[in-house]
Amino acid sequence: MILTEDHLQSLLDKSLAELPGGTEWAVALEGSIAEGFGNSTSDIDFLLIDRSENDLPTMPSLLFVDGHRVEIRTRSMGQLADQFRMLEEGAKRPGRLSEDLLNRCQRLLHSHPLRGHALVDEAKAMLPLERFRRITVDWWAHRARQSLRHAMALLCLGETDESVDWSRAGLVQTVKSWAAELGETYLEPKWLPMQLDRAARPDVRDRYWELAAVAPAPGDVGAARDHLTACLAFAEDLGLTGVPWRTERLTVERAAGVTTWQTGERVHVIRGRREVFALGDRAGAVWRSLVLGRPLPQVLAASADTGVADPGPRLAAFLRYGLIRLAWKGGGTVIPSLPLAAPPGPVTPPPSTVQPLLSVHGAAVSGPDGIDLVPLPADRFAAATMALVWSNVVVENAVEDLTGALERGQWRVAELTARRALHAALRGLFSAHGVNPLPADFDLARRMDLLPPAARPIQARAEELLRRTVDSAESGDALLAELRACVALVRNTVGAGAFPSSFDSADTWRATLELGYDWLRIGAYLDAELPIEEARDLLASSGVQPHQAA
Amino acid sequence: MAGTTTVLVTGASGLVGAEVTARLTAAGHTVLALLHSNGDLVRNNGRKLTPGPGALIRITGDISRPGLGLTPDDRHIVATADRIVHCAAVTDFGLPEERYENINVTGTRHVLDLALAGRTPLVHVSTAYVCGERDGTAREDELDVGQRPGNAYEKSKLTAETQVRKAAAEGLPVTVVRPSIITGASRTGRVRDFKTIYPVLKVLTRGLVRTVPGHYDAALDLVPVDRVADLVTEAATRREDAEGLTLHAVGHELTLRDFSDVLAEYPSFHVPRFVPPSAFSASALPDRERPYYGRIISLYDTYFRRRIHFDDTQTAAFSGSPAPAGGRPYLRRLLDHCLRTGYLGVASSHKPTTARPDGRTL
Repeated sequence: MILTEDHLQSLLDKSLAELPGGTEWAVALEGSIAEGFGNSTSDIDFLLIDRSENDLPTMPSLLFVDGHRVEIRTRSMGQLADQFRMLEEGAKRPGRLSEDLLNRCQRLLHSHPLRGHALVDEAKAMLPLERFRRITVDWWAHRARQSLRHAMALLCLGETDESVDWSRAGLVQTVKSWAAELGETYLEPKWLPMQLDRAARPDVRDRYWELAAVAPAPGDVGAARDHLTACLAFAEDLGLTGVPWRTERLTVERAAGVTTWQTGERVHVIRGRREVFALGDRAGAVWRSLVLGRPLPQVLAASADTGVADPGPRLAAFLRYGLIRLAWKGGGTVIPSLPLAAPPGPVTPPPSTVQPLLSVHGAAVSGPDGIDLVPLPADRFAAATMALVWSNVVVENAVEDLTGALERGQWRVAELTARRALHAALRGLFSAHGVNPLPADFDLARRMDLLPPAARPIQARAEELLRRTVDSAESGDALLAELRACVALVRNTVGAGAFPSSFDSADTWRATLELGYDWLRIGAYLDAELPIEEARDLLASSGVQPHQAA
Repeated sequence: MAGTTTVLVTGASGLVGAEVTARLTAAGHTVLALLHSNGDLVRNNGRKLTPGPGALIRITGDISRPGLGLTPDDRHIVATADRIVHCAAVTDFGLPEERYENINVTGTRHVLDLALAGRTPLVHVSTAYVCGERDGTAREDELDVGQRPGNAYEKSKLTAETQVRKAAAEGLPVTVVRPSIITGASRTGRVRDFKTIYPVLKVLTRGLVRTVPGHYDAALDLVPVDRVADLVTEAATRREDAEGLTLHAVGHELTLRDFSDVLAEYPSFHVPRFVPPSAFSASALPDRERPYYGRIISLYDTYFRRRIHFDDTQTAAFSGSPAPAGGRPYLRRLLDHCLRTGYLGVASSHKPTTARPDGRTL
């Protein structure tokens, strides 16, 4: 050890003096120094053990003693027994075994007793060292398999550089598993060099360093493949099973809670009923080519058949975002993870900034390869888009009503229907920007401050039109013309995708109805707030175009 | 073997018939398998049926002919049957009406003649959909309540079951088992024949028809083939308990919403839009969809409209096991099996679309 017994006892005395008295602690030094590693900057980690069954605080105390950072943890024998029991239970499924739990047990089992040796020994005896070694060997081996399988998959998908990184991770994990077999169970990978030196197998150590030093040039597929091949061969030599180079054993599987919804030509993928990804045309074509349960090379070939060049990175992104799952035949889901790193799991990209956000076909995308996260929760997304579709219908409907009212000289009716049309257009404008629920109709014009500056010119015009009265055919016709101009301005602002002319022909009307049904379908899935009742009236109208001039 | 019987199974090569035959012979019973043509009996798992320890005796016959078209020798053998399990039927939709009449109605008449002649207890395999086009709960003790059959198949099965009831009234010991829509095995989703709902799933998931008339809360009941076979076998072997009962062999009640949500879990699948039947017009379908609608989907339209629940109180009491729960996981198993075998897969076209100007595409 880098510190003498006397030095440690002195540090312990000074540390205990800062703690409340009254407990007869057994004390052990644990961590890198106890392990025989460490340096002048290493923490001094004291574990204080109480014979009781009481629950002691989990949070460690941090002290600064004689220039050392001292970390003090307290555990009762009851807590330590629970810790070992949980480890045994979790050992059956190494993929789920907590790294922290394994670390805590390792540190105690490899600790150096300073006070109350008998109690420390009693605590250590709760789990035989041999058994712990086996658990650690399996834990690292499981991670090594995951990393190496993931590296194979990424190489297959053309994500060469990321594949190299996972090969490296797999290499470290393989060697950690091998070292654990020899009793080198300390988890922290930074002490691997010293563990390898102590293992007294220079052949393994040298081969490891040789492989660790390999640095394939970015994008060099051949070098990445060679590196992975060498890592796999080394792993096999060290006794790691379950990682033959057979990419056909990797299958693409369903990720729970991920669903696909197409509206018009836009493919939306909803994750966990919460997040919506809008796929550009090429990304959508790759997504649609995915047949679950098939081997990865077959999936890749099928996606290439879509005509999309280089579909691998798109598939890799689907995998990264947790939209699909990768499994190894007979080995369950591939979940790569790094120790002491962020927990494994799907990545969430930053939300899309494309504006306007929505059209009647769905969310806007950044480009044909886009896999864009819609910056709205899924139910709001569905509700806003349905409101947008609906506002289109109401605008057209109200303009028809206005025309009829003017023909019959019903000036006040004309005023009201003009306002209705304008409000509907504004509702569409807000919805296209993802505002949902909407402000009250009378507040819409005022709340234009919620929208991007490009929408502001509409405000003054809308406010003026909402005040307009009609008392003659001339003023009515003027209102109708200006209303149409204002609706056109809204269309220009948000794009025709948000405001198509639904009533131009029977075909466009039928297509609008179908979009309505498509959105109802998604809304039902999400239990979203939709204008269902009104929409149902519309949708039950047998597709007949309402208010069409006879 | 003590307690074993000889059972005549009509339609023994069919999906249910083969499974019932396998179960009966496995339990030591002798099965007289009435077959329309020669050939192996194939179980639902695709393997050739290996009978035993009970014997399997093949008999060639045709239920649409009087006396089942049996030779005099076979008539003697058939006369030894202690029970008759009548599985034979045409279940495909869209056939000429006389096919249903010949096989399902006349065929049942001929089987009844045989059963009545020897007062041989009969297990008649009907369908839960004799309930016809109606909403609400269909009870096991109901038959003709003035319902309108959804198609010629249902009409024929209703007529056949009515004949069976009449025979029961004349003293024939009868049990009726009414399966709903028979689909893959409970645990694996595996199915020997991709019939009934399967072609519908194929057309819909490939996007060959994208608009379907139906109600999201309409329910289809899918029953695993093993559950039906278990129940029919039990009805045949526990004759005294089963006599006089009508048993709804039903399984997983799945609404169109369930179908929609589960199909959406498969990236390559198209999810149809269900529109109110009143708003649907086949003539408004795109040209490429209309033929598929006409040939396949329209045959099943009736099932997309019914908000029906099959009560299975008698079945649960008889078998000790109520209809299974977990409709969505079961549907996934069925779909996963279809993917594994390649029956289902990619949509009809998944090429990226060419860029279109927004908005004017409607």
